[in-house]
Parts: sequence; C-alpha cells; structure tokens
Amino acid sequence: MDSWVRFNTQSQGKERVLRAAQYACMLLGYTLHKSSVATDLQRTISELEAHMSLTRKLLRLGNSVEALQAAKTTIHLSDSVLRLCLTIGHLNRAMYFACDNVVWAGKIGIISKLDQQKWNHRSFRYYLFALILNVTRDVYELCLLLDCEDCYRITATPAVMWVWLRKRIHQIGTVLYNNPPLLLDLLKNGCDIFIPLDKLGIYQTGPGFVGTCGLLSSVLSIVTMLHPWLKLKP
Amino acid sequence: MMDAVLKFANQSQGRDRVFRATQYACALSIYLLRNKPDRKDLVARLKSLENNMSAGRKLLRLGNAANSIVAAKQTMQLSDRLLGLCLTVANINRALYFICDNAVWAKNVGLIRSINKERWSINASRYYLFSLVMNLTRDLYVILQLMQKKGRDNRFKSRMNQHLSDCPEVAEAVIPELDALIFLLLETLRSEPTVALDTVKNICDLFIPLDRLGIYKSSAGVVGFCGLISSLIGILTLARPTLRIKP
Repeated sequence: MDSWVRFNTQSQGKERVLRAAQYACMLLGYTLHKSSVATDLQRTISELEAHMSLTRKLLRLGNSVEALQAAKTTIHLSDSVLRLCLTIGHLNRAMYFACDNVVWAGKIGIISKLDQQKWNHRSFRYYLFALILNVTRDVYELCLLLDCEDCYRITATPAVMWVWLRKRIHQIGTVLYNNPPLLLDLLKNGCDIFIPLDKLGIYQTGPGFVGTCGLLSSVLSIVTMLHPWLKLKP
Repeated sequence: MMDAVLKFANQSQGRDRVFRATQYACALSIYLLRNKPDRKDLVARLKSLENNMSAGRKLLRLGNAANSIVAAKQTMQLSDRLLGLCLTVANINRALYFICDNAVWAKNVGLIRSINKERWSINASRYYLFSLVMNLTRDLYVILQLMQKKGRDNRFKSRMNQHLSDCPEVAEAVIPELDALIFLLLETLRSEPTVALDTVKNICDLFIPLDRLGIYKSSAGVVGFCGLISSLIGILTLARPTLRIKP
C-alpha cells in the first residue's frame, strides 16, 4: 500500500498507469471488434480510451519545459554521441509536447478552427524522431559494451559467416542480459516506435498490434519507475 | 526558479491543484460574463475548459482513496488523542468521498450502469462536507490551544494591556473582554500563519458542498471564488512546505 502511495504521488506514475490502461483499452477494443461481439461494450471501451487520451494530454501540459530542462542538462555530457543523441532527443520531445498541447487545446475547443489532423501528424513526427534518437543511443551503448567484451576475449574470427553471426548474437544476448537497464530501454523504445509508425501511415500494423506494443512499453516504464536502478542513465 | 516549478508540477498534487484553480477560475469567469451576450463564444470556451478539467481531475482521483486510508492509519498513532481523532475521522471521510467520486466517474464513462449517479454524487458531497467539518474542528482545537499558550505568555500579557489602554473610543473596547479575546485571536493567527491559512482554506472549501447539498445555496460566482481562493492557498502551501499545517 505504501509503495502504491509513493508511486501515486509522482505525477509520472499516474500518467504511466493511464497510458497502460489506454493501450489495454485499444487492445481490448480490437479483440472485441474481431470477435464481433458486444457492440455496446465496444463503444464504451472506445469512449473510455478517448477520455484517457484526453486526460493524458491534459497531464502533458507543461512537459515541454521539462524536456527543455533535460536538454540543458544533457548538453554538458562528456561523450559526444550521447550528448548529441540525448540533447536532440529531448528537443524533439519538447516539440512533440508543444504540438500535443495545441492538439489538446483544439480538441477541447479553446482554439477553434484548428487543423487537428495536421498538428497530430506534426506531433507524431517529432515523437518518432525522438524515439529514433533514443534507439540510436541504445545501439551506441550496446556497441560500446560489445567492444568492451571484445577487449577481454581475443579469439580468431571464424571463417564461416553463419558461425560468426551466431556468436555475435550470443554475445549481444549476454551483454543485454547482464545490463537490464539497457535491455529494458531498448525493448521499450522498440515497442514505442510502432505507435508513430502506425499513426503516420509509414508502417501500418493495426490497433491490436499498436495496443500490445503500447501496453508492453507502459508496463516496462512502470517497472523502471518502481525500481529506479532499472532506469538507464543518463 | 524553473527547477522549483518543475519539482512542484511533478508532484501529482501540484498539478491537480493547478487544474483545480483553473477549473474554479473558469467557473468564476463564466458567472461574471453570464450577462454579456457579445462574449457568448468566450463563455462557451470557458465552459468546455471547465468541464474538461473537472472530468480529467475525476479520472486522476482514481486510487486516491488508498492515500487517505494510509494517512488515516498514520494519524491514528498521534500522541494528542483529540487531534488524532479529528484527523483520522477526516481522512476516513475523505477516503469515502473518493470512493463515491470514483463510482460517479465509472457511471459517467459507462463502466457501471446500474448505480444512481445523483445519489452517489450527493453522498460524495456529504462525505467531503464531513471531512471539511472535522478539519475545521481540528483548526479550532489548535487555535484554542495556541491561544491558551499565548495567554499565559508574559510578554503577550504586557502587549495586551498596552492595547487595551491605547484606544478606549473603539467600539470593541466597550466590552473589554471581547476586545481582549479578538486581540488574542488575531495575534495567535498572525504568529501561526499555517493554522490561519488552513482555516481560511477549509472555510472557503466549505461553501462548495454546502451549495451542492442545498444546505446553504450561494451563487455559482461565490462557489467559483471560494474554490479559486482555496486552490491558490493549496498551491501556496505545496510550494512552501513551511506554510503547511502539521501533522
């Protein structure tokens, strides 16, 4: 009960739970649609999903400032690749939040003639760029760790491509298994990336797959919040 | 300064209080603009913003009952029995208010169909009123304790005597005991701003359920104004923890 209270008092904690619930509703709605049953329930679920989405947009008001502050911190990192990836990632996130706030204002009617589709697309584009940079950072960290591994094991390169590939994959697996924060972050970003890809029409997967990915990434995010040692730093 | 703002916003309560302040500011503005036909568009936008804030806050209140129950468990262990009783009963009533409020939310979104929304909404307001009354009782108890302590303080006694002999033509001086009591009360509140702020906040909050339950119907403007004041005080006490009443 105490850990729930502590989790609940962080604004982000509630937002993550809402996100998980929203994507669970998306997945549930898709499942019900596929089985063509209970149209009444389907309507309730989709309305609930829209309600949660709007409330999350409300919670995101002001997050641009947070992202800009984060960019101000990461600009001082010593590693140049990390510095580039993280700073530009945060700047893209700030732009995503700004566009998202405009979409919220349009949805509730504060701004009247707003091209919601255009602004929605804009926000997803920035979100996609931010995710691509996050994945780049994850891959960079992975390469650094693999290089470290290679330093310790100087073995002859096998002649067969297939054997070399299997060995490499095994190495990557070991490195990721020994670094749970990197593994979780990579999984989370990997799942998240399907959401803007679907929304922008670049790689359409459907609400079922998007719902599953969103739910999985939200659950992983909640786990990293409950166990801060699992969060990838910086 | 930006760091302080971010730290404030990162607390779930911080954001909720800002939304609450916005919600009641909208309600007040709508009331003030109600007779201006050329501002109908603005009034419609303010109404939409107010409704969205209210709906969003209801969703965000899911799970707050657990917070209140944990708080009740903690206040049960206070050394001062009367204080512990007031706070524990207040926290239990708040938990019940949250449960009723969550039921109303579930009915609003269509998850539960078979409940009487009006009855649960009235019950929520009732529990909220009880918890506010208990909080005010606690405030009164703390003020009386502080007044007693201050009354025994020698430095204060000399200041009081000086005040009583200062202005004999003032109306309250006709009844010197009343004048002394008011002076003591004001001095106590001035030296303990935490209690003063909490009392003002609770009194302002009281108008909201009193209006909703029909016990003391004031206008939408009064409710909006009181809600805004109490939200601003709530933001102030969260931003400056030294101004928050303890426990």
